[in-house]
Amino acid sequence: MDPNERNIADYEQAVKAEEILFAYATNSGSDVLAVDHASFSVQKGEYIAILGRNGSGKSTLAKMIDLLEFPDGGKLQIFELPADLDENFWKIRSHCGMVFQNPDNQIVGTTVEEDVAFGPENLSVPLPELAQRVEKALGYVGLSEKADKQPASLSGGQKQKLAIAGVLAMEPKLLILDESTSMLDPKARDEFLRLVQRMRQDKGISVIHITHDMHEAYLADRVLVMDKGKIRLQGTPPEVFSQVDTIRELGLELPKWADLLCEVAKFYKISPEQSAFLSEKSAEEKIRELLRGERPEDASRTVRDVKEPDDKVILKVTDLAYSYSKKEEPTVSGINFDVRKGEILAIIGHSGCGKTTVISHLNGILRPLEGKVEIWDDDENHFISTDKNTDIKKIRKHVGLLFQYPEYQLFEETVEKDIKFGPKKLGYDDEKCERLMREALPLVGVSEQVLKRSPFELSGGQKRRVAFAGVLAMGPDVLILDEPAAGLDPAGQKEIFGYIEKLRDQGRSIVLVSHDMDEAARIADRILVLKKGRQVFFGTPRELFAGSNDYVSMRLDRPCLMKTMLDLKKDFPYADEGLFDVSEAAESLVFGKDGEVSAP
Amino acid sequence: MMKDVSIGRFVPGNSVIHRLDPRVKVFLFVLYMVTIFLANRPIAVMATFAVVLVLALLSKIPPMEILRSVRPIVFIMIFIFLINIFTLRSGEVLWSWWVLKITSGGLERAVLLTFRLLLLILATSILLTLTTTPLKLSDALESLGSPLKVIHVPVNEMAMTISIALRFIPTLVEETDKIMKAQSSRGAEYDTGNIFQRAKGYVAVLVPLFVSAFKRAEELAVAMDARCYQGGVGKTKLHPLRMKGSDFMWMGILSVLAFVPLAVDFLTKIK
Repeated sequence: MDPNERNIADYEQAVKAEEILFAYATNSGSDVLAVDHASFSVQKGEYIAILGRNGSGKSTLAKMIDLLEFPDGGKLQIFELPADLDENFWKIRSHCGMVFQNPDNQIVGTTVEEDVAFGPENLSVPLPELAQRVEKALGYVGLSEKADKQPASLSGGQKQKLAIAGVLAMEPKLLILDESTSMLDPKARDEFLRLVQRMRQDKGISVIHITHDMHEAYLADRVLVMDKGKIRLQGTPPEVFSQVDTIRELGLELPKWADLLCEVAKFYKISPEQSAFLSEKSAEEKIRELLRGERPEDASRTVRDVKEPDDKVILKVTDLAYSYSKKEEPTVSGINFDVRKGEILAIIGHSGCGKTTVISHLNGILRPLEGKVEIWDDDENHFISTDKNTDIKKIRKHVGLLFQYPEYQLFEETVEKDIKFGPKKLGYDDEKCERLMREALPLVGVSEQVLKRSPFELSGGQKRRVAFAGVLAMGPDVLILDEPAAGLDPAGQKEIFGYIEKLRDQGRSIVLVSHDMDEAARIADRILVLKKGRQVFFGTPRELFAGSNDYVSMRLDRPCLMKTMLDLKKDFPYADEGLFDVSEAAESLVFGKDGEVSAP
Repeated sequence: MMKDVSIGRFVPGNSVIHRLDPRVKVFLFVLYMVTIFLANRPIAVMATFAVVLVLALLSKIPPMEILRSVRPIVFIMIFIFLINIFTLRSGEVLWSWWVLKITSGGLERAVLLTFRLLLLILATSILLTLTTTPLKLSDALESLGSPLKVIHVPVNEMAMTISIALRFIPTLVEETDKIMKAQSSRGAEYDTGNIFQRAKGYVAVLVPLFVSAFKRAEELAVAMDARCYQGGVGKTKLHPLRMKGSDFMWMGILSVLAFVPLAVDFLTKIK
């Protein structure tokens, strides 16, 4: 096809959808509407965020815009061209670019430059223009020196930039990001978003961004919130997020600063007006205003149980060093920490800092090159070490490890068999396996009704909980969780963290690898920070983020809540920025001046 | 870790052979095969060996690397040698024991056959596997196979399939490693027990691997659609294969070289 035929006339509206429908047939034979009478528009150069639970129809909506799916009803116009006319098909698709969630599953080329060339090659762009486009696109995203490398040698963040370059080389007018940031760490995510913003400014591209991150949604000009195929809310971020109750009902969250505002406002029995949701600054201003005002008489603090710390150490890591190849520098070295009974230890650090290597040692998947990993054995009342082959089985019984995206480890015909796989391998009889499985199910909210079903029929969130149950059924005292909430929607994430806290309250110890600084600081008793394979901090969250700016040299982001609290501290010196739970922080603001706050 | 998995045994380099257009290499490969099959007298085989040696020198690949490509077929070479040495009987008897007999004709035949097999492997390695990336090879086959399009053979699609398979090998290797670690955490064992127990252990790896490969395939298909893939029709190429002057020159030189053993064979026969 001649690329010149693809030129589109000037347009004002990039997308105009009127009452569009998309139906799919379910197993039971009835049709379900994945997109249900959705109407919206996207202007030229506009940035739209689409929010909503998993399965709310966001991706289907996005695919219809790129003509990867076709509406079953309603009227859809892209670049002011009717989407249902054959003659418009390539015009529309060649001007839309889409970046998907999983970086690995959208790279076609065997080398970086071949991958960028794939799109323009399909558009019959001739040489030398083709080579120029590839070079320019790679330069734009900052991957020029990787041009002849294999895509497998790139990091996750670089792979998503490669995907952007591939889209950019097609010179799109509309960029669709389908959860493109959800598998990236915070640093890569920031870089990715900055790149998208730059593209918008330089090239006037419209952006449709599907995301689960509320802070990202605030970058948009307008937000659409979807639920069960319907667009439930539509408007600017403050318009949408000020409808706090609806937002929460739809399984979404507020940005931390807005959350804090609502918690504070609760004590004053008001709901903050829309203008307070304009930005972090306006929310802080509103909080100031409230705190300066009269506090209602009947406002009272919540009584919290103070947890008695248990000093019993059940896992010890001493001078651990490990290297994947003998020639290179050790991947990790000088790692020293311990895990106490009933505590949550968070391990944080950027991608590639050695987190996965460290946790793979804790149940003997990897054996230390130097140093020792020891686990307390209740049955014998002494520590057993992972270097003894004979103890490995025992260690795996005590220490359960759940890697990132554990749903990919399910393999049995039924959920029941899969959960029982671990206990069977430990040599337990049928009766014990059954009992352990039944005990594990409620811990992570797996209903007994799914037991006879195939794990592959379940939804993503259910699969993850089944995988979690499979590890819990082995009866571990220590649980190692690598990014247990990654890729889930806000409600799903909250649920997982809820289970983790409950497991801790039952006396299990948890080692948690997380990118989410707010969640790690809130939930963890202690934090281990890794940087380039070295341990740079080990202590409580409060110590980590306390005055001495160590975390800056560790290149960590502060928790979002802490940023807001530090801003407020300037006017209210009693504000305690070392509190990482929104309601506790709100209480410290509201009741702090009474001098009732005691640092835990 | 396992991030730089290479397929085949490509040895990077910048020699004449490395730079040669892959289509020329495929052509020369066929030519040398013919030569090796036709040259069957000792003098001609020696001449072929000399020619292959020239190719090896031109490729600048370390001799150890070249020899390593012979290793997998050593067993077959020994087998062919033994079969021939004991079954062919002509000329005088050199050695005999019980029913076994070695004759001078049998010995000559066995040595020559084994040696020709060795030459065949060496020529293949030097011209193709060691000096050509799998991607270039698939490009060459796509280009050489393009006449087949007339009879509706989907040549472009086949080349695309090969290149995607190559692209996903490192990804799947990494994933296998991850799944194996996850399943060992759940107590799976791959290295203990008898062969059936081990095979059963691998089910726990293969099932998730297949499930995820299918999911990847599905997502990749959508991503390719989104980037306007429409088969080979009208597709341009970033690095099209283009014959340069030097390609023609080396094609000539190396083709002539391929005829040398045959000429030697012919000339010595006349005398």
